Amino acid sequence: MLSGLTRFGSLYDAAVTRFGGRARPGVARDALWLNVVERSQVADGVVSLRLGGPALPAWQPGCHLDLHLPSGLRRQYSLCGDPGEDTYRIAVREVGAGSREVQALRVGDRIQVRGPRNAFPFAGLGPVVFVAGGIGITAILPMVHAAARAGLDWRLVYCGRSMAAMPFLDELPVGHVDVRIGRGGALLGDASPRGAVYCCGPASMLDQVRAEFSSRWLHFERFSPPPIVDGRPFTVELRRSGVSLDVPADRSALDVIRDFRPSVAYSCRQGFCGTCDVGGVRICVDRPTGDRLVLEEL
Amino acid sequence: MEPDNLVLQPRDVQFDWSTLPMHWVPDEPVTTHVMNVLHLLLPEGERWFVRTFQQAVPLISDDTLREDVLGFIGQEAMHAEAHSEVLDHLLANGLDPRPFTRQMEHVFQRILAPRPGLSEEQARDQLLERVAIVAAIEHFTAYLGDWMLNADALDKAGIHPVMLDLLRWHAAEEVEHRSVAYDLMCHLDRRYVRRARTMLLVAPVLFWLWVRGARFMVHADKSTRVRLTWREFMRASRRGLLPRLSEIFRAFLRYFHPAYHPKQEGSTAQAIAYLASSPAAREAH
Ligand SMILES: Cc1cc2nc3c(=O)[nH]c(=O)nc-3n(C[C@H](O)[C@H](O)[C@H](O)COP(=O)(O)OP(=O)(O)OC[C@H]3O[C@@H](n4cnc5c(N)ncnc54)[C@H](O)[C@@H]3O)c2cc1C
Ligand code: FES
Ligand SMILES: [Fe+2]
Ligand SMILES: [Fe+2]
Repeated sequence: MLSGLTRFGSLYDAAVTRFGGRARPGVARDALWLNVVERSQVADGVVSLRLGGPALPAWQPGCHLDLHLPSGLRRQYSLCGDPGEDTYRIAVREVGAGSREVQALRVGDRIQVRGPRNAFPFAGLGPVVFVAGGIGITAILPMVHAAARAGLDWRLVYCGRSMAAMPFLDELPVGHVDVRIGRGGALLGDASPRGAVYCCGPASMLDQVRAEFSSRWLHFERFSPPPIVDGRPFTVELRRSGVSLDVPADRSALDVIRDFRPSVAYSCRQGFCGTCDVGGVRICVDRPTGDRLVLEEL
Repeated sequence: MEPDNLVLQPRDVQFDWSTLPMHWVPDEPVTTHVMNVLHLLLPEGERWFVRTFQQAVPLISDDTLREDVLGFIGQEAMHAEAHSEVLDHLLANGLDPRPFTRQMEHVFQRILAPRPGLSEEQARDQLLERVAIVAAIEHFTAYLGDWMLNADALDKAGIHPVMLDLLRWHAAEEVEHRSVAYDLMCHLDRRYVRRARTMLLVAPVLFWLWVRGARFMVHADKSTRVRLTWREFMRASRRGLLPRLSEIFRAFLRYFHPAYHPKQEGSTAQAIAYLASSPAAREAH
């Protein structure tokens, strides 16, 4: 049977390459150009922007936009408005160069975005506990509203450094909200063991939630990749390209190689999917025992 | 409010097969083995998807699509590993699947491998044809995924819970990423003729491999004397344990509709809801 299939395969391939005709590529989906239609300071260090444009694609709680900033930086921001509105709202905390550039936008400016994309989908099943830390409220807020609207059994724990630094306190549905200043104490308290937990906040908060709650129903989003602890700097040598790149202690080989070649393949960035595999090395997490990593195929 | 803009994330799932019986659909050896064909075909098939799409990544000029394709690759790689663990379990329990899986290796590693000695343009064209073949197969995986998520009869039949979770986890991810291969094909070549001819190729070959695989499994299983017959198959599909042939045929025809898009098959919201409650997917974080 296999010899028949093999022969058929070669005939088919030969016919297609000879008579298949010319491929007609599709058009690339264009990134959106949006206008800043509103800008306001919503908390200390946090600016919210409303972006408008014709026929904005629909979105769901958990979605974010990819902003292509004029400097060439790309940064993601969660949509924190109402999916029913005809503008997108984001809120940005000042951290470094990218967020400062976003905060410097003014009403009337144009900005290129990609998305919305959802890496943190809300399944809409109760009972559910939301845990937000600081600016992480942006991703959580539309979920809280969706849960309240759907009549789910929900609860929100919202932590921040000070009331003044916490955006959207005035927009939370009343009744099931636990606002906390500073850290300490259990985050989940009496979270129903059969309920889901959606968490968005700094790495330390996520660690605490994981410690308190078996991971089975825990969903979370990180605004930055998990920090690399105990990393040592090394040099990665790309044999085929003939270059050597320095990887600092707090970055992965993938991060550094992506700066050099943006098309390099990756997916989970946490070492389990194997997409970034180069000759048996998962470049998103693997580090050499010595100070040199050689990749033959890159 | 169907979310069609998911960032595809591979989930690092684990399954414990230690308690899996030979007939994991109780008292249904034929149904079990027809479904076991998934484990025979998928590991090699999905690894081939991964290789094919990895070759196609440099051809993509759309950032969102590139991200989708990378997520797709990650998910399919996980599927392949999960299914091949079932094969290991079968082998350890006295059912040797290797005579069949060796043939699948031949199909996916040789017949469908890139052919040597082609010009750059021919090689590219061949790659596009492979991508279109994947898109046609993914139409069926999306159909089957949707069927699997909705087949309440499987719960009632008392399927082994770990196997049901594997099947539904895979089904949900197939539904989740059902547009990726099609979108990639259209990005590289949007001609109807390529879509149509690859489906005409894929459907009969897949059907034939499935029948062969099921027959192989039933023969290789020494613990039962039933045989794979149409009557048995029809009975199981009437019970809702297998999809009906007429439904599969209708799905096949839908692919030829000029306005076809995989989004029309299945529900992303349902897939997310399953993944949020799947024991294996929830352990994956
Ligand atoms: C899916 C997703 C959604 C996001 N949503 C939002 C959102 O809604 N709102 C929002 O404000 N951000 C959000 N972010 C984060 C955002 O994309 C940027 O990473 C953030 O604005 C920082 O970018 P930057 O260029 O200003 O800082 P960079 O210069 O890129 O600095 C990045 C990293 O440096 C460190 N760092 C630098 N300066 C400081 C500092 N002063 N304090 C603490 N750490 C520092 C942090 O580890 C930080 O992650 C999201 C990220 C993702 C992935
Ligand atoms: S990107 Fe998934 S293993 Fe590296
Ligand atoms: Fe799959
Ligand atoms: Fe798939």
